[in-house]
Amino acid sequence: MSGLSLDATQLDRYSRHIIMDEVGPEGQKRLLDGRVLVVGAGGLGAPVVQYLAAAGVGELVVVDDDVVERSNLQRQVIHADADVGVPKAESAKAFVERLNPDVTVEAHETRLDRENAESLVADCDAVVDASDNFRTRYLVNDVARLAGVPVAHGAIYKFEGQATTLVPGGPCYRCLFPEAPEPGEVPDCATTGVLGVLPGVLGTIQATEAVKLLLGAGDPLSGRLLFYDALEMSFETVPYRQNPDCPVCGDDPIDSIERVEYTGGCGIAD
Amino acid sequence: MELELRFFATFREAVGTKVVSREVDDGATVGDVLHELEASYDGLEGQLVEDGDLRPQINVLKNGREVLHMDGMDTTLEDGDSLSVFPPVAGG
Repeated sequence: MSGLSLDATQLDRYSRHIIMDEVGPEGQKRLLDGRVLVVGAGGLGAPVVQYLAAAGVGELVVVDDDVVERSNLQRQVIHADADVGVPKAESAKAFVERLNPDVTVEAHETRLDRENAESLVADCDAVVDASDNFRTRYLVNDVARLAGVPVAHGAIYKFEGQATTLVPGGPCYRCLFPEAPEPGEVPDCATTGVLGVLPGVLGTIQATEAVKLLLGAGDPLSGRLLFYDALEMSFETVPYRQNPDCPVCGDDPIDSIERVEYTGGCGIAD
Repeated sequence: MELELRFFATFREAVGTKVVSREVDDGATVGDVLHELEASYDGLEGQLVEDGDLRPQINVLKNGREVLHMDGMDTTLEDGDSLSVFPPVAGG
C-alpha cells in the first residue's frame, strides 16, 4: 500500500475512522500499512483478528498450532461449526478473507518457539499476545523487547482478565512477574473453564491497544496493569514500574534469548 | 490494626473470597502478613514466600503500589492499609 492513497472503496469502508481527526486518512493509511503479529487464534486471538482485520490493518501474521475444536466455539468467535478440525490459523485466514479484502493474513500453523520467534516478530509494528501459556508469554515478551516491538498483552482466568501494554522504554512483563509459575501451578481454561464472553472483553482491549500503537494515538496501557472482573463488572488499573534488576529491560539487559530457559520458571542462566 | 487484603485469580479461590479484612499486630510488615496468610489458607501455602523473600512469580501491592519498589518483605503497614496479592494468569 506504501505510497498509494486510499481508493474510493477504502474511503467508504473506513469513513468512520477517517472522519475523526485522531485517525484521518493518514492514520487509516498507517493501519493499512501496518503489520501485526497475533500469537494465538483462540479466545483472545479471535476478537483481535476480527477487529484488526475490520480496521484494515494491512498484514496480520497469525501463529497457532491448534485445530478448531467444538468446545472452542463458545468463545472463539471467528471459528464456526464447519471449521471443527481445521487449523485455527487457516480458519482465521478464511474469516478475514470474507471480512476485508484489504487485509492479507500470513497463517503459520505452528507454535511460536525460540527458533521461529525472532523472524516472526521482525518487521512487525506490534505484537498481540493472545497465547495460552506462560512459556510463550515470556518468550514473546523477551523477543519483542529485544527487537524493540511493543506488545499488547492480555490473559484470562475463568471470570477475570489482565491486560497491559509492553512498550520499549517502559517496563516489560518480567518487571511485573520476574518468573513464570511452574507448569501446572496455574490451571488452564480446559481445566477451570472460562466465561465465553471474557476473552471478547480482553481481546478487544488488546486490539484497541494495537490500533492505538499503529496510529500513535492516545496513551498506551504501559506501566499499568488492568484487571477486569466480570462477576463484579469492575475494571481497575494499578501502576507498575521498570525493575532496574530486570534481565530483559533493566540496567544490564540480555542481548539475546540464548541463555533463557523457556521451561519451568522461564529463568535466565547466569 | 486492621488491613484490607485483596486476592486475584487462583489466590482468590484459595481464600474463597476477593476481599478479606484481617486484624494483624501493630507494626506488622508485608512479610509478616504473607507468612500469616500461608499459614491460614492451605491453598496459599508455598505460594507467596520463597527463601524468606517475595516469590518472583507473584506481585504484591500496598495501597496500589508495588512493595517491590518499597522495602519488599520489610515494607511496614499501617491501620487501614490495603494489600493486594496476585499471580499472573496465562489463559487465552
